[in-house]
Amino acid sequence: MATDPATVKGDQAEEDGDRAAANGHQAAEDGEIAAANGHQAAEEGGEIAAVNGHQAAEDDDRAAVNGHQAAEDGDRAAVNGHQAAEERGEIAAVNGRREEEDGDRAWKKARRAETMTAEEIRLEFAHHGSEMARVNNGSFGCCPASVQAAQRRLQDLWLRHPEKFFCDNLQPWILRSRDVIRGLINADRVEEVSIVDNATTAAAVVFQHVQRAFYEGAYAAGDSIVMLHYAYGSVKKSAQAYVAGAGGNVVEVPLPFPVRSEEEVVVEFRKALEVAKDGGKRKVRLAVIDHITSMPCVVIPVKRLTQICREEGVDQVFIDAAHAIGNVEVDVRDIGADFYASNLYKWFFCPPSAALLYTKLSPSSSLHHPIVASEYGNGLPAESAWVGARDYTPHLVVPDAAAFVSRLPGGLSALISRNKKKVVEMGEMLAKAWGTALGCPPEMACAMVMVGLPPALRVEGDGDAQRLRRHLREAYLVEVPVYYNPRRADDDAVSAYARISHQVYNLEDDYLRLRDAVAQLVADGFTCAALSSPPP
Amino acid sequence: MDTPSSPLSNGHSFPDDAAAARNGDSAAKKRRLLPLSADELRREFAHHDPSVARVNNGSFGSCPLSILSAQQRWQRLWLRQPDAFFFDELQPSILRSREAIRALIRADHVEEVSLVDNATTAAAIVFQRFQRAFHEGVYAPGDAVVLLHYAYGSVKKSAHAYVARAGATVVEAPLPFPVASAADVVSEFRKALDVARDGGRRRVRLAVIDHITSMPSVVVPVKQLTQICRDEGVEQVFVDAAHALGNVEVDVSDIGADFYTSNLHKWFFCPPSVAFLYCRRSPESTDIHHPVVSSEYGKGLAIESGWIGTRDYSAQLVVPEVVDFINRFEGGINGIMKKNHEKVVEMGKMLAEAWGTSLGAPPEMSCSMIMVGLPPRLRVDSDEDAQKLRKYLRGKFQVEVPTHYNGRRPGDEDEAVTGYVRISHQVYNSLDDYCRLRDAICKLLSLGLACKDLLPFL
Repeated sequence: MATDPATVKGDQAEEDGDRAAANGHQAAEDGEIAAANGHQAAEEGGEIAAVNGHQAAEDDDRAAVNGHQAAEDGDRAAVNGHQAAEERGEIAAVNGRREEEDGDRAWKKARRAETMTAEEIRLEFAHHGSEMARVNNGSFGCCPASVQAAQRRLQDLWLRHPEKFFCDNLQPWILRSRDVIRGLINADRVEEVSIVDNATTAAAVVFQHVQRAFYEGAYAAGDSIVMLHYAYGSVKKSAQAYVAGAGGNVVEVPLPFPVRSEEEVVVEFRKALEVAKDGGKRKVRLAVIDHITSMPCVVIPVKRLTQICREEGVDQVFIDAAHAIGNVEVDVRDIGADFYASNLYKWFFCPPSAALLYTKLSPSSSLHHPIVASEYGNGLPAESAWVGARDYTPHLVVPDAAAFVSRLPGGLSALISRNKKKVVEMGEMLAKAWGTALGCPPEMACAMVMVGLPPALRVEGDGDAQRLRRHLREAYLVEVPVYYNPRRADDDAVSAYARISHQVYNLEDDYLRLRDAVAQLVADGFTCAALSSPPP
Repeated sequence: MDTPSSPLSNGHSFPDDAAAARNGDSAAKKRRLLPLSADELRREFAHHDPSVARVNNGSFGSCPLSILSAQQRWQRLWLRQPDAFFFDELQPSILRSREAIRALIRADHVEEVSLVDNATTAAAIVFQRFQRAFHEGVYAPGDAVVLLHYAYGSVKKSAHAYVARAGATVVEAPLPFPVASAADVVSEFRKALDVARDGGRRRVRLAVIDHITSMPSVVVPVKQLTQICRDEGVEQVFVDAAHALGNVEVDVSDIGADFYTSNLHKWFFCPPSVAFLYCRRSPESTDIHHPVVSSEYGKGLAIESGWIGTRDYSAQLVVPEVVDFINRFEGGINGIMKKNHEKVVEMGKMLAEAWGTSLGAPPEMSCSMIMVGLPPRLRVDSDEDAQKLRKYLRGKFQVEVPTHYNGRRPGDEDEAVTGYVRISHQVYNSLDDYCRLRDAICKLLSLGLACKDLLPFL
C-alpha cells in the first residue's frame, strides 16, 4: 500500500494510535471497504489518506475545552469557571489550554483507564443546569463533557473536508462502534448489530418488516401481534400504523400496577397470548416486550417471557429495551429474542442520539431501514450506516462512551448496581417521608423506581400529572416525571407516582429537594385542581 | 409563554435562556446584520481545510462558523435542561424555521412545510405513501411511476424498494448529456410519458422530476415538465430539488408540483443536516406520514416530522439565523445565487478553454454548478476511471471535485469527451481553487498520463 509522504505532512499522529490522527490505516486494518457503492456524491472506498484532523482545532474558531464551548453574544452558557468567549470566530482559550490538547489528554486518559475522581465526574456534568434537581435521567439521558468533546472533534473533521471523511473514516468508525456494542450486549456477530437514531426508529424498522409480510401475503389478515399495555406510546402508534394498518390484529397485555412480583407479569402475559392465539385460529407473528417499561417503570422478566413465546409458537420476539443498556445487564444471547433495541443516549452516555438494534441472524428476516438509500439490500447495518447526508457523529462516539464508563469506579457492572441501590434507597426515603410506597418491589426496579405521591395532592388524571410536573420544575426547580395510574385498586389511595432516576451525577440533595418540594405542597394544602384553573 | 421566574431561580428561567440563545446581546445582533467584510467572510469558512481546493460545494454543502456557533447554543440548551427544552422550546423553534422556509419558497401555508433530515428521507416519505396506495388497492398493479434516468441513485433505489416492489411499473426518462437546450429535455420527457401511459392503457400515478440533477448536473425546466404532466394526466408530481434552495430560485406555488423537497445544508448554509418537504395541501395530503412513527402520528406530516423520537434537532433550528447571515450579502440570497452562477460559468469556460473541451450544458441550464468536459487524452473510459481520477486529484493535488463518466456512444471518435468534472462555486471559493484544478489536469496531460496510468491513491 503506497504511502505518500504528502499525506503525512502536518500530522500530529498519536503514538498510541489515536484514531483521529491515524494515517487512515484504520480502514485497511479493519479490513473494511470504507465507502458505500453507488453514491454520486462520493467514490468507492479503499483510499487511505492522512487525516489532518488535529489541525482543525488550530484554525477552528470554536473552542471546546472539556466540552464547554466558547459562548457568544451574551450566552449564559459559561459553566465550570470557563470564560464565555465572544466575537464570532474567536477562540476563548481557557487557562491557556487548547481544545486539541485537552481532547487528546482526555482520550489518553480514557485509554489508560484511570478511574475518575468524584470531582472529575462532577466536572463532566457541570453543563447541566446546576439549579435543577435533575432526577429524570430516564427521559433524555445525559452526555459527559469528554464524550461531547470527542463528538465535536469528529464534527470538525467532517466539516473540514467532508468527502475525505465520507470516503475514509465514516464506515470504519461506524463499524468500530458496532463492534463495541456487540461486545456490550454479547451478540455473536457484528453483522447482527445496527446503529439507528433511537428505539422509535428501531420499532419502525421491525414493524415495517411485519407490514411487508402482511402486504405480501406471508402473514394472513387477522394474524396477531402482542404488545404490553404499558408499551411506549410511540411504539404503540407505530404498531397501529404499520401492523394494524396492514391487517394485523394487535393484542395488548394488561399489566398490574403497582406490581408485586414478576409472577403477576408472567400470568398476564400468558393470558394475553391465549387471547392473541384465539384458540389456535390465529397465528401470533410477533410479541413486543419491553425490557423496562417507560411509564410506569418496571423491569420485565424478558428472558422468561421470550421462552414462553417460543413454547407457545410465537414467530418472532422484539424486545423494546429503550432504557436497558447501561441500566441493567444485557445479554441478547441469553435473552434469546429475534430483535432487541436499546437507546445509547439514555443510560450509556452517548449524545443525542444513537441506539442499537440487534437482529439475530436468520434467513427469514430481511429487515430494511425505512429511509432507503444507496446501501439498500446490503443488510440492515449497512443501510442504517448511510441514510443520506447527516451528522453521524452520535453513532461514532460509542467507543468514547464505553471508555468513559470504564473509567467510572468498577466500570459498567458497578455503575448498574450502584445506580439501582441508590435509587431504591432514595425511593424508600421518599416513600417514608410521604407516607406512600414504591410501585414495585426492589428486584423489579433498575436505575429508576416509581414512588407513590401523597394522595393529598389529588392527581386525578394525565393532565393533572403533567401540570404537577411542570409546577415542580418551575416553582421548585425539580425535574421528575409524574405518572397518573388509572388502574389502581379501589382501596388504593395513591393515584400518582414520581419516577425517580439515579445516574452518576446525582447527589442525595437532589432527592431531598424533591422530598421537601412535595412535602411543602402538601403542607400548603395544594391540590392539582389549583393548577388547572385559568389565571385570573 | 409567560412563566414567572421562581424566587429560587435567581431570575433564571428557561424561556429567558432560550431567548438569549436566539438573540444574544443587542450589540452582537446589530453586528450580525451588517454587511460581511472580506475578512469576516474568510473567517466564516476558516474551518475548511485550507490546503484543499474545494470546488465541490454540491456534494455536502458548507456551513459558516456563525451558524455552527448558533447551532451549538441550541445544543447546549438541550443538554442543560432537556425536559424544559422539549416541553417549551423545541416545537416553537421548529415552527419558526418552517415559517422562514415557507416565506422563502412561497408556499401558501406553513402546514405544507415539514422539516426532515435530507431529500433522501423526503423521497422515502413520498414513496411510502405511494406504496400504501398500491397495497390498499387505490392504485392498480402495473400503474406507472416515471423517473429521470439521471435521478439520484438513492432515490431510484427508494422508488424500487417502495413502489416497484408494491407493483408499480417504473419508467425512466433518458435525458441527453451533454445537453444543448431545455427543449431537448422536454422532448425526451414527453417520449417517456408516452411510454409510461402506454397509449392510455396505464395510469401514470407519479412523476419524479429533479429540479437540478446531481450527476451529470443540469437544471431541468421543472415548471414546464410539471405542466406537461398535468396536461398528460399524470396524477401527482414530486420534484426532487435536493440542490435547489440557495442555488436557483424556488417558488413552489409557481412550479405547481404536489411534493417538492430540497436540502438546506447544501446551498443554504445550514449544518448537516436538514431539508424541507413541501406537500401541497389537498385531500390526499392527509395520508402522508413520516416512516418513523411517534406519539405525533396522525397530526400531519409537519408535526410528525417535528418529533421522531429523541434526537438532535439543532440543525433544524438555525434557519432564522441563516436568513440573517444571508442578508448580510449584497442582494441577499438572490445576490449570492447570481454571483455564484456567473462565477461558475466563468470558471467553467476558463477550464474548458485550457483543456480544449466544452461545457456539458449551456449556462442557462447551469446554476452554481457546471459540468466541464475533461480532455479526451485522459481516457476516462469507465466509472472506475472517473473514481480513480477523483481520488488522485484529492490525494496528489488536494483538489476536491467530483468526476463523471458519460459513456461512449457508438460512432464517437477517439477524441470524444467521455468524462466531466462538476465544479461548484460558493461564497468561499476563489479563483485560485479553479486554477489549481486547471493546472492539476494540465500537469497530468503534460506527463502523458491517462486514467489507467494513475497509481491508485491509497
